[in-house]
Amino acid sequence: MSLSEERIREIAVRAMNELGEGASPEAVKRYVENEGASRSDAPGSGAPGSGAPGSGVPSGDRMILTCFGLNRPGVVAVLAKTLGDAGCDIQDISQKIMQDFFTMIMLVDIADAAKSFAEIQEELSRVAERERIKIYAQHEDVFTYMHRV
Amino acid sequence: MPFDFEEVLETIKMTEIEHFDIRTVTMGINLLDCADERAETTAKKIYEKITRLGERHVANAKAVSDRYGVSIANKRVSVTPISLVGAGFSADEYILLAEALDRAATEIGVDFIAGYSALCQKGLTKGDRALIESIPRALASTKKVCSSVNVGSTKAGVNIDATNLMARAIKETARLTKDEDSIGCAKLVVFCNAVEDNPFVAGAFHGVTEPEVVLNVGISGPGVVLEAVKAAKDADFQELAEQIKKTAFKITRAGELIGRKVAELDGVPFGVVDVSLAPTPAEGDSVGDILMAMGLEDVGASGTTAALALLNDSVKKAGLMASSSVGGMSGAFIPVSEDQGMIRAAERGNLSLEKLEAMTCVCSVGLDMVAVPGDTPEETIGAIIADEAAIGMINDKTTAVRIIPAYGKKEGESVDYGGLLGEAPIMPVRRLSAKTFMRRGGRIPAPTRSLTN
Repeated sequence: MSLSEERIREIAVRAMNELGEGASPEAVKRYVENEGASRSDAPGSGAPGSGAPGSGVPSGDRMILTCFGLNRPGVVAVLAKTLGDAGCDIQDISQKIMQDFFTMIMLVDIADAAKSFAEIQEELSRVAERERIKIYAQHEDVFTYMHRV
Repeated sequence: MPFDFEEVLETIKMTEIEHFDIRTVTMGINLLDCADERAETTAKKIYEKITRLGERHVANAKAVSDRYGVSIANKRVSVTPISLVGAGFSADEYILLAEALDRAATEIGVDFIAGYSALCQKGLTKGDRALIESIPRALASTKKVCSSVNVGSTKAGVNIDATNLMARAIKETARLTKDEDSIGCAKLVVFCNAVEDNPFVAGAFHGVTEPEVVLNVGISGPGVVLEAVKAAKDADFQELAEQIKKTAFKITRAGELIGRKVAELDGVPFGVVDVSLAPTPAEGDSVGDILMAMGLEDVGASGTTAALALLNDSVKKAGLMASSSVGGMSGAFIPVSEDQGMIRAAERGNLSLEKLEAMTCVCSVGLDMVAVPGDTPEETIGAIIADEAAIGMINDKTTAVRIIPAYGKKEGESVDYGGLLGEAPIMPVRRLSAKTFMRRGGRIPAPTRSLTN
């Protein structure tokens, strides 16, 4: 696995803070290896999710939207419009296209939305049916619980 | 993005492809305050209390399931052992209580209601006797009621008198429900060291040391663990255990989240996450398949017990790390009829009752959903229970027997219940008599390890 320079610096700073100056070279090595192995180099990864259990951060109302389908022009636009009309704030988008298929993950804040979580889910399932794509809209907490300690 | 692509897709793969679901959210309800001199009044109070507290339980579970995208297979209620609530009643009067439980369960829409139970490891009260006598009729005249009786414990020993009564009750239940492949027996468990916060039926009940009302959650997820074992390829056992733990950790966390949220909506305290690997008859959702994926030719091969021990222990360890509220059974379940891998092994003749018994020494329950010939003598059923209870008593663990002496059926045939209860081939039982042994009666004394003070 290759690490970016920025990421290496980040790990080093954290190791210094956590282990202190008196840390043995073995301890630093172990720490850095653990850090490198446990987190991938994807942009933005490594930041603990909000609302992590035990973190004291209150759990917000954010939704993780995962879409799969055949790629064609306008798919993202339809989704963005649906979410925008419902008063949702798209905070992040990550997308991959493999051959003809696209996979997109959106982080959507619905705290100020005019509609409830369930209503937005319903809207999205209608879009999914119309556009013949698959959409999973799940509360962020399920990912936080499963993938963050 | 707070999560990697892979993390999000892993979760979706678990819930959509690998059958990860929450097996049950079980609301435990104390019914001690429903006791009344008259059975009719007690039944009325039971009905009212359950329908009042559980009114929104099913709707709440659905709302949480939709919100987090994790399906909840069953919604259930467990209650205080009914022998205590109806102490002083006759068998006929106890049946009124069973019917009230059934009506309440139907009214609020839960899948099962459990706790038609008695705890008689040390001795039988009048109420215990009457309840046990009523079990066959109670199970035959209700749809959703589940019953369990605890006949042994490490502290008290094994009550053979109660065991004999239960063997008779099982045979009679099989006869009374013969038109449905003796389905009553699928809702009847005999325990040693029963746990008071178990959310899984048929053995759930709301222990007397529990709070007024509580929400316990039971996770499932053999399919997810199966994929993890396959992905570990030819890793050695330490690495394999590590892979299982990682996966079990994640599903426990999801289970705790779902449990806490349902409890929040129900307005009741959250109890425990039971991190059991509970299989379903769905293809790929099988504990048997996990054992085979570890490298065994079939379930029942030499090595099966070792494989199950590693699996069971890894699940527990992960659960303990993932949640500070782990309870119930928490391990791997091996119900024959509910697990494709087990069914196939039994059909091929590779899995015997004796091997199953050995497996129960290292997993979380016991002989579960095992169908045997209808003409298996009562004393043999009793002796099978006594063997399991002895394993539980000596090893300080929960063991259970849920056995179906399928009325009018013999080896080579099968019973089929559909749904989560599945289907089971009728397994051969050794034709050796334990009659004289079981007729001694009394109680097998508690072992030395009961004297821990």
